[in-house]
Amino acid sequence: MSAAWAIFKKELRVWFVSPIAYVFLGAFLFLAGLFFVMGIQQNGEASLRAMFSNLSVSLLFLLPLLTMKHFAEEERLGTFEFLMTAPVPLWALLLGKWAASLALCALLLLLTGVFPLLLAIYGDPDWGVIATSYLGLLLCCGAFSSAGLFTSSLSDEPVAAGLGGVLVLLPFWIAGGAAHLVDWEPGRQALRQLSFLTHVEPFSVGVIDSSHVAWFVLFSFAFLFLTWRSVESRRWR
Amino acid sequence: MTAPPPPAGGDVVVQAVGLRRRFGDLVAVDDVSFEAHRGEILGFIGPNGAGKTTSMRMVTGYLPATEGKAVVAGFDVFDDNMEVRRRVGYLPERPPLYPELTIGSYLQFVAELRGIERGRRDRRIGEVMDRVGLSGWEDRVLGSLSKGYRQRVGLAQAVLHDPQVLVLDEPTSGLDPAQVVDIREFIRDLARERTVILSTHILSEVERLCRRAVLIARGRVVAQGSLDALRARVDRGTRFRVELRHPDAGERAQIAPLIGALEEVEQVRPLDPADADAGDDEGFLPFEIRAPGDPRTAIARLATARGWTLRAMERRAPDLEEAFLHIVGKEGHTQARGEGR
Repeated sequence: MSAAWAIFKKELRVWFVSPIAYVFLGAFLFLAGLFFVMGIQQNGEASLRAMFSNLSVSLLFLLPLLTMKHFAEEERLGTFEFLMTAPVPLWALLLGKWAASLALCALLLLLTGVFPLLLAIYGDPDWGVIATSYLGLLLCCGAFSSAGLFTSSLSDEPVAAGLGGVLVLLPFWIAGGAAHLVDWEPGRQALRQLSFLTHVEPFSVGVIDSSHVAWFVLFSFAFLFLTWRSVESRRWR
Repeated sequence: MTAPPPPAGGDVVVQAVGLRRRFGDLVAVDDVSFEAHRGEILGFIGPNGAGKTTSMRMVTGYLPATEGKAVVAGFDVFDDNMEVRRRVGYLPERPPLYPELTIGSYLQFVAELRGIERGRRDRRIGEVMDRVGLSGWEDRVLGSLSKGYRQRVGLAQAVLHDPQVLVLDEPTSGLDPAQVVDIREFIRDLARERTVILSTHILSEVERLCRRAVLIARGRVVAQGSLDALRARVDRGTRFRVELRHPDAGERAQIAPLIGALEEVEQVRPLDPADADAGDDEGFLPFEIRAPGDPRTAIARLATARGWTLRAMERRAPDLEEAFLHIVGKEGHTQARGEGR
């Protein structure tokens, strides 16, 4: 566990001594502000629903760019060899890296807290809904980080890993929209279930449904497991 | 040449048996077996691409062997990988550094991963930084370091947890001559209580640090043993160098056959007269003589009897480089013919 903690701290340190974390935070906050203003103007109500929905999609594109360095870069620098010959179990390495992405996301979401506060000055937002919306976003972050980690383990070229992450995640966004094109009810259902929007939507109206929580947890675990397999197989090739 | 480290012969700490590694169709390392003892620096030497790094990676457990096994400090590299990792310090060919971090924060990270207790970390990091010549450099960013300094940080990383076994892959590459002397001294120091496996393509490094070496070429061990034994493999008999002058320049050609006829001498080879110590203007001719024993008295007697002037006569030190080229060349040749790999 202490190894996972060391990895966790190292990842965050590397992000914060380089421009990555700041560019990432800046880009995300800019988008959040844009969505906030647009949402309020369009609906004219003290709700953050539009912002949260747009943010979840933005995360899908941004998170792979954050996680792309994880394994690709370690491989390129030769530090992967170091980690695999230091007494660090692979699960601790994965956990540390994944938790670091999640922690950066949590900070990000915390900073967007300024928008609900602004809303509170002029209106009367529903704090319960806002809290569940944040939970939904955090679950998205976990899922996307895990997928990004996976593609990062496939390539030692960070750019390829980042774009690969977006490509892997895209179907999980589009599936819901594509559902109405399918002329077969079970197929439609399946596509809707595949889309993360289906599962994040209930959070934005204040509902915490364990089946949706489970979907995100499963998604994260599935990709962490794939990452684990992929990293293991790397050594055999 | 500096004195070799204290005699080996301690317990076997690293034992590799029949290591083999394939990458697809390519057999990078084939049937590599060796032993390293406590208190020993074992040289692992071979041309670039011979399979040194792959072998090192199998011994540290980074690469699983396709066949064969390795036991390090009593633990199987594959079955008890974590135990091995705890006991081995490894400097890969390229020092594993994070360019964004400072030397201090990097070594803190390593100390934490290596499980060094919080209370001891700072002191231990200070000690090691001192030892590799990095004191006062805590705040330098790794990405801005020169090759030599990166190498030192790499070495600091490898020894931080005071490992029983050190695997060093080209530890002095990129260092300037003064640094090389420092680092070699450090490695010699480390080996007093530990086991060091030193992979290098620099022969003089092996000559300065090791008593025993493993020669590897094309993925196979072509020879191993004490350096003296390796040298002896090419020096069947000892070589001597003699410079002589015939009073009558026209009769020079007689010299070689007459020496060759001596009972004590196995072979005489005239050397290029330009190699004579003071040039050939005085008419001295250099010869190389191979002999099982010491033929010098016999040659001196012959020279006196014939009226030749004898200017120099010395035993030539066996040359590891020559032994190396000889063994690697021979092996490579037979292999190319034999297997066509």
